[in-house]
Amino acid sequence: MSLQNILNNWDKYRKGHEAGGHHVYEHMWSMVIDLNKCIGCGACSVACYAENNLAVVGKDRFEKGQAMHWLRIERYWDEPNLKPTASDEFQQHGASFLPMMCQQCNAATCEPVCPVAATYHTPDGLNAQVYNRCIGSRYCSNNCPYRLRYFNFYSFYETSWPEPLNLQLNPDLSVRDKGVMEKCTFCVQRIRTAKDTARREGRKVRDGDVQTACQQSCPTTAIVFGDMLDPESRVTKLWKAHEVELGKTAQHKQHPEKRGYRIFEGLNTDPCVMYLERVREV
Amino acid sequence: MKDINEDIKWAQINADVLRSMETPRLGYWIAVATCVAMIACAVVAEIYQYKHGMGYGLLNWPHMWDIYIATFIFWIGMSHSGTLLSAILHIIHADWRKPIYRFAEAMTTFSLMTAGLFPIIHIGRLWNMYWVLPYVTDRGIWPNFRSPLVWDAFAISTYLTSSALFLYIGMIPDLAICRDNARGWRKKLYIALSLGWRGDDRQWRNFRRTYLLMACFLIPLAVSVHSIVSSDFAMSIMPGWHVTTFPPYFVAGALYSGCAAIITLFVLLRYFFRFEEYMTIAILEKTCKLTFAIAMAWTYLNLIEFASTWYGHDVASKEVLLQKFYGPYAPFFWMMMFCGSVVPFTLAIRKFRRHIPTMFVVSLLLNLGMWLERWMIVTPTLANAYHPIAWDTMWPGMVQWAIVFGSFGWFGLLFLVFVKIFPSVSMYEVKEMVYHRRGHAGKDTEEVLHRPVEGVRATTGRPGLEGA
Amino acid sequence: MKKYRIMGLFSNFREAFRVVEDIKGGKVSGLKLDDVSTMSPIEHPEIDEVLGARPSPVPKFTLTGALFGMTFGFLFLASAQATFLVQPQGGKPVIPLPSNIVLTYEMLILFGVLFTLAGFLISARMLTKRPAIYSEKVGIDQIGIVLELDEKSYEPAKALFKSHGVLEIREEVVK
Repeated sequence: MSLQNILNNWDKYRKGHEAGGHHVYEHMWSMVIDLNKCIGCGACSVACYAENNLAVVGKDRFEKGQAMHWLRIERYWDEPNLKPTASDEFQQHGASFLPMMCQQCNAATCEPVCPVAATYHTPDGLNAQVYNRCIGSRYCSNNCPYRLRYFNFYSFYETSWPEPLNLQLNPDLSVRDKGVMEKCTFCVQRIRTAKDTARREGRKVRDGDVQTACQQSCPTTAIVFGDMLDPESRVTKLWKAHEVELGKTAQHKQHPEKRGYRIFEGLNTDPCVMYLERVREV
Repeated sequence: MKDINEDIKWAQINADVLRSMETPRLGYWIAVATCVAMIACAVVAEIYQYKHGMGYGLLNWPHMWDIYIATFIFWIGMSHSGTLLSAILHIIHADWRKPIYRFAEAMTTFSLMTAGLFPIIHIGRLWNMYWVLPYVTDRGIWPNFRSPLVWDAFAISTYLTSSALFLYIGMIPDLAICRDNARGWRKKLYIALSLGWRGDDRQWRNFRRTYLLMACFLIPLAVSVHSIVSSDFAMSIMPGWHVTTFPPYFVAGALYSGCAAIITLFVLLRYFFRFEEYMTIAILEKTCKLTFAIAMAWTYLNLIEFASTWYGHDVASKEVLLQKFYGPYAPFFWMMMFCGSVVPFTLAIRKFRRHIPTMFVVSLLLNLGMWLERWMIVTPTLANAYHPIAWDTMWPGMVQWAIVFGSFGWFGLLFLVFVKIFPSVSMYEVKEMVYHRRGHAGKDTEEVLHRPVEGVRATTGRPGLEGA
Repeated sequence: MKKYRIMGLFSNFREAFRVVEDIKGGKVSGLKLDDVSTMSPIEHPEIDEVLGARPSPVPKFTLTGALFGMTFGFLFLASAQATFLVQPQGGKPVIPLPSNIVLTYEMLILFGVLFTLAGFLISARMLTKRPAIYSEKVGIDQIGIVLELDEKSYEPAKALFKSHGVLEIREEVVK
């Protein structure tokens, strides 16, 4: 009975993120991106397009700001002593790159605003997007401080993959139609496969079983992916080494070697992606 | 100066109001045709958008919302003064509301019906809109009650139900009058709608209680509705949206635009239905004074929002504010400040306040300002939120403009239908107003009230509503 | 004995109220105040003064509706949330009180309003058949005093009406 359910489990249902939350997490998938290693080649983004059936929208729609790049490489021309000279129209070199994909926040701002519960937190620590449930109110994208959610403004599939390109679509996940929101899933189809394989073989998922497409294609191995609940995983060790912890809103570190940070930590979104700051020549 | 001619004959009141509902003339049909044409623009745009996706309105990343949502808030806001003012003025016994509240409440209901279309239009898969409603399924899936959008759905449906009932209940005695004077299909309609009203003491006694109780519910409800609409923004994390003062600010803005719309419709009805006896300059003046007070409250809340953002020195919020001041949307921002905070000073000047054409233009300007205000709430934040890579300026496309344009036609059409089917001035309450104002004046009260009216048949005073 | 219902139409409200006061004062034998009802074009607070306090149960409906809406609203939301565990968290608990308060508030008002409406329809006896004795003039500017009486007080009542300047008397035989 529902009433009984409420009364019996009241304490459990009243637990927020600060108190540990309602979920008993099976995994806590997370990522570490070393900006020092990132060369801005864009291979990760291309791999993401291929893996996740991302629509290629074309120049016009890109200019209108309707692109679907789940993983985008942001360029910042922020080297103070490399300002463009009078003769240059643009700065010639000294860009720094920031690969941005969904940060899979544990206290995600996009989740509570969805009117139909199309985005929710999985026991894997992922911020899931249920395409079938999405009605396209687009509130989640508006409330994402990272602006990492992309909307299907058109039926992109109609033009994105002319024959025979449709044959390269990944059968492990759907092609989205117009009117739904989508975003990086941490290659949830690969996570699923790894978990299934592990279960079939009667073992736990090992570190390295799951490789995201971006990680796999990164020529400089700037991206590390793994399970934070596995104490032996590379991500756990890296987070520890750089003294970044989940559930914190600020890092207080003096040591220059400890370069880890999370974007907009102060907003208390508790993202699961840690970036390692780029070391600059001073 | 008196609010209303206290010597007016009661049969004359019936006759004047019933006359406004007679078979319409050519001008009315032209107005209807215009509204239908406007709706047609929106329908074409909507069909196009439905078939091909939201992108044709030039919505983009990061401008996921734009003037659809701004117009949604605009219409919701406009719905506020009708019912809210009517209820408040009823409770404080301000009887000058009586000749003007009926159309104001109708405006509430119709602007809500217009506003309610926008969340449906703006969502990507509108054929699944009903998923927002909490209905029981065997899949055990519910809407997300945390989402301010679901609160919107609850609040708007509650408000629409309640304000429509408030309008309707207040209209029952008048519908009985219509029933007594109608023929044909109108007779059938009014018999059904007047629910057997006879005006006996039992009915009046319960009617009075009911109306007062409804008014008591509607005041907090109306305040909560626009607070909830403001939660769409205030509950988010975005700079320029996450503002504590948004609920009162929205409520003030809602009252403001609603009052301005009341003035607009006041002038139109007064002119077209020759309601000079009821919609008097004195009442217009009172409405204008009220609007001025609300305008100043709105200005204050607006300035306090800027001040707290400035003083709070949150980098992102401040950036959004500065971008409003001199960014790409600045002309609209300053136009909003001009229309919202400078133009209302004309309401403070007696000479302008009594000049009807001026008031008509001013009320339109005020509402233009309020529409711009909503746009300037939604868009600059999306244009300049936290992540600088997503900074973008976007101008809405034709599809969006067509739908916004059409919404005015839809509102106009509903209102046009209303004024011909329902009495847009409350007959029984104008009588009450006259009666109570004269009440203790002299012995001749009754004699004056009941003198026969020229040109009205003595028996029923009916001009006769033909139901063809 | 035959039972009648008669209505006298007055355009002078003061005289009409005097009729009721006379009946109250026992001028017509066999007529009590309870037999009197009125039909009026506007809401007269004076009617209550002459007719005495008659009950209006609408507020009870309202209170019931509001309490029902509040309880039902909260329990409905909370039980829906508690059975729907695969729902977005965003760091928030399964049953978040702030949002439930907002929605409970709306449900309180919605049911309050609906019950008030029902209360009005029931206690004002709306939706009943219009009695034969009705005058359209009540919708304009005349007040009707309706009396339920038997043969014995029929003539005296008519005389009372006439002495107060009645404009028109309508009557029907009840049984």
